[in-house]
This record gives sequence, structure tokens and C-alpha cells, in this order.
Amino acid sequence: MSRRAVAIELKIPDNAAYTALVTLRRLGLAVERVERSQIVRYEDAPSPKVLVDRVQGDESLYNPNKHRVTVLDGDVPRTGEVWIVQDDPDMPVAWRLYVAPGTPASTEVLKIACERLLCNPAVERAIFSR
Amino acid sequence: MSRRIAVLVFPGTNSEEETVRLLRDCGGDAHLVHWSGAALLPSFDAYVLPGGFAYEDRIRAGAIAAHDEMMDHVIAGAELGKLVLGVCNGAQILLEAGLVPGTGPVRHPTAAFTRNGPVAHFVCTHVHVKLSVKPGRSPITAALAPEAVIPAWAANAEGRLAAQENHLAELRNGDHIAFVYAHEKGNVDPTATPNQSALGVAGLVNRSGNVLALMPHPERDAWTFNHPDKRRGDDMLAPSGGAALFRSFVAGVQRS
Repeated sequence: MSRRAVAIELKIPDNAAYTALVTLRRLGLAVERVERSQIVRYEDAPSPKVLVDRVQGDESLYNPNKHRVTVLDGDVPRTGEVWIVQDDPDMPVAWRLYVAPGTPASTEVLKIACERLLCNPAVERAIFSR
Repeated sequence: MSRRIAVLVFPGTNSEEETVRLLRDCGGDAHLVHWSGAALLPSFDAYVLPGGFAYEDRIRAGAIAAHDEMMDHVIAGAELGKLVLGVCNGAQILLEAGLVPGTGPVRHPTAAFTRNGPVAHFVCTHVHVKLSVKPGRSPITAALAPEAVIPAWAANAEGRLAAQENHLAELRNGDHIAFVYAHEKGNVDPTATPNQSALGVAGLVNRSGNVLALMPHPERDAWTFNHPDKRRGDDMLAPSGGAALFRSFVAGVQRS
């Protein structure tokens, strides 16, 4: 047992991610692609296979027609990704930015994206990859 | 020459019709301006941001609309002293744009109307809000009576004011709390607040008083037929209490 996280993302087009992309570009960020996912963090994570089964069995999190589940290597944001936490630290929203095809954004770019759009510091907190 | 009021329509706005109708009933020269007509906005003298779900509340309520081209013109107008009123989603947009409370740089919000408490559910209930600044603090409220109590409908999932402690102190000390939730007779206690909003706040005003953000909808309690106490035989098209704020807004626009 260890801490793990899963990313639940849409496999259909994500209009919110696209709108974020257009808005970030309007704000002057040279971003090529934006992906969004719901992160769920588990304290007592079993094996990845059991974890996926657990998520896929929760109808409040997962709809097989819309979602795909990825078990992350650790319990931290992936490269080019920021987690935005509001009320529940175990359920942040992940935004993953690419500045070119296959090239994740730097932490510097992520910080600018958070400051200008993705995070309202009055009610949210941003967690960056190390 | 009549002062012209623009009622902004973002993709997802849904309260524009009753807002325009009430402004006109109050004597205002109000016009709808859709997002595709943003370039028209500088020619208007005042702006109203109605309720709805601009851009489907993507990212956060009001976050995308705050960066829309329409808001470039609203921000420029507000800096010139034009009056701006935001209701519900309009209020959320004004906070995301940093125009209200206006204690930080533009588009760097220091507060938010966010998920309701104690449970993050949609709230749809009749409320009263009480003017908690002197009427003359804002040209928008100048024609209201001191401590005026205004009926309205709260209809939101994200209407709870939240901010860091230092920013809440700024709101208190800077006379930014324009309206608090109250009971019908004007008494204020936590049971009057439907969503655990910080300090019982229903509405905030900026430092110079020309931009007001109010979460509940007074325009949905503007005629008798909107009112929960209506009775058979009442004049259903008579103005109701919610019209008072819009009358005061229109008077402020005409004076400006």
C-alpha cells in the first residue's frame, strides 16, 4: 500500500480544455495544447489494476462512454502539469500544457498560466511538478 | 440625450431579457449587446452584466468571461467612471476580472463567489439583502433609503464569498461590503445567509463606488408576479421590491 493518484480524463473532445487553450493564447501564452483531468489521490492505494477497477466501479467518477483512467507513477503532477486544489486536497483538477507537439510546458509557463487564468488564489492553490 | 445602458450577453448568459425589461421599466435606455458586438461597448454610458453561465462556467464561474473582449471595454469604462452592475454570474465575472472589490490589480482576483456551503449544492431560494453602506457610497445605490432591504432570488451553486483573511479585512475596513443577507425586517444574523458566504456578504462595491457586484437576483423579484407573497387580485405587473436597486442604478446613470 502507498500513495497513488489516478487521472480521469475525457476521451471525447474536452470543450473546457479547448476554451482554456484559446483563452491562454489570447493572454499571450504560446501554448499548443491543453489537457484537463480529474485527479483522485489515494492514501492506501492497492496495485494499479485494483485501483483502476475501483475507479471504474464508482459511477460518480467514471462513465465508460466518456472517460479513460490513467494510474500515475506517483502522487505528484506530471511534467508540464499543474494541479489546482480547491476544497478537497485529494481531488485536484489537473491542467497539462504543451508548448509544441509532445513538448510539455515548463514550470515557468505553468506559473504564468495559473496566475493569469487557471488559479484564483482567493480560493484555490496550485501544485506544480518538482 | 439619454444615457445608454449595455446589457452584456456572453455565450451562456440567461437573464438578459428580464434585466433589459426591468431597466426599461425603470426609465433606462437599455440595449442587449452580444459578445460578437463587443466593439459597440465603448459608445455606451453604463454596463450591466446579467446572470447565467457565461462560457458554461468553464475553469471557474466567470473566469473565461473575465478575459473576453467585452470585458476589455467594461474595464476601460469602469476606469473612466462609468457605472457597472453585475448580478449573479455577472457578479462572479466582476470578481474574476478584479474590478470588485478592486483591491488588487485588474484581472488578479482577491476574492471569489465560489461553491456554496455547507454543502456545495445549487441554492434556489427567496432572500433579502440589506444595504450595509451609506447610500451615497456608490452612485448605484445613491437613490436607496439607508439600510434599504431588497427582496431577491438566490439562484446559484457558487455564491459564497471567499477570500484570504487579509483580503476579508480589506473588504471590512475599506467599506466594500455593499449588501449583506438579512431577514425581511432587516435584522441580520447567520440564518439569513443561504450559503455560508463570508461576513454574510451578498454584494460588494469597488473603492470608487462605480462598480457593484450582487449575487442574488433582484430583477427576478421586480414585479408582483415574481413575488412569493402575491395574491389573487393583485396587480401582477406592479413593481415589486427588487426594482428599487435598478431604479437607483438608472438614476445614477442619468446623473453621471
